[in-house]
Amino acid sequence: MDTITGYLNNMFASLPRTEQTYKLKQDLLLSMEDKYYELKQDGKSENEAVGIVISEFGNIDELIEELGIAVEGTDSPLPQLAPEDTWSYMAAKKRAGFMVGLGVMLCIVGPALLILLSTLAEYGFLQGVISEDTAGILGVVILLVLVAPAVGLFIYSGTVSEKYKYLQKGFTLPHFLRTEIEQRSRAFTPTYTLSLTMGVCLCVLSPVPVITWSMINDDATAYGVVILLALVALAVFLFIYYGSIKDSFKFLLKEEEYTYNAFRAQ
Amino acid sequence: MISSDVIRGYNDTLILYMLLDGESYGYEISKNIRKLSDEKYIMKETTLYSAFTRLEKNGYIDSFFLDETFGKRRTYYRITPLGLAYYREKCEEWKVTQEVVNKFIKEL
Repeated sequence: MDTITGYLNNMFASLPRTEQTYKLKQDLLLSMEDKYYELKQDGKSENEAVGIVISEFGNIDELIEELGIAVEGTDSPLPQLAPEDTWSYMAAKKRAGFMVGLGVMLCIVGPALLILLSTLAEYGFLQGVISEDTAGILGVVILLVLVAPAVGLFIYSGTVSEKYKYLQKGFTLPHFLRTEIEQRSRAFTPTYTLSLTMGVCLCVLSPVPVITWSMINDDATAYGVVILLALVALAVFLFIYYGSIKDSFKFLLKEEEYTYNAFRAQ
Repeated sequence: MISSDVIRGYNDTLILYMLLDGESYGYEISKNIRKLSDEKYIMKETTLYSAFTRLEKNGYIDSFFLDETFGKRRTYYRITPLGLAYYREKCEEWKVTQEVVNKFIKEL
């Protein structure tokens, strides 16, 4: 009997926990229990009885379909995604990820250049070209000049994603499209893993220049910091860009944080 | 054994028929359907309960609880006047369907 209860729990795991689904589950359990005990009484073995009850359970989708309408009440059913919408959504997510990644990178590179310029000036490398003060001011100017397009990128990527906000209200995928997305998702996995590995390696290695530089010459540690920031910037770009592609797959396939329940909870 | 695809449009009719003689509950209905069909049709649990949901939503049946002697709480169903009218309609529909399909059935 535990097998049957477990089976039913599994079947209902992806359903929203409402009063209606709870009652339905209780009813189903009772009904399956009735059948199970009767089969046992007829002389079936434990395994046979459980097997028959489970094989006669049917398809949970049938119930979901019926409940979907009952739960939503008079609301229209969820829109079904067309292939062109799906691919344009994925392209938009990719573009938005690229822009945000680039923006964040610019925000990190800005201070790095500021440090570089002021350090170069401090040690007299820029003598005759610009004064130390000018180098400082120039660094700040460069920083601002980089941050400005970064902010632009953030805002623009926001408007690109905005167009697909309606998808967050829920959607359904036709079977063929789901298969295709799953295929693409699988094909993307090695790329994603590689980008993740590279990003993590870059982060781990990023302090190395600081350490080595400080061993060679304590004064020049600032150069190490510049390289550290550059490496981190690159890593962050990898995380954001590839992460947003991965995210679009997870969103469409309703995996991990995008499962039906998580949707409901939002 | 009949496939569930063939009988899909008549699951509701089968259930309503079982309720014509009075209230009943899930397992009893499915057991009787199986018995009456000479074991040729076994209605799946999900088919049965999605039909209950649909029929109740349409006002063709209503449900109530009955507590059993050993503490179990069972949902019973009974047919409504609206359900009875729907049942008659489906019977008429079946007659026509049968007539039409029969015209295309030939012993070979």
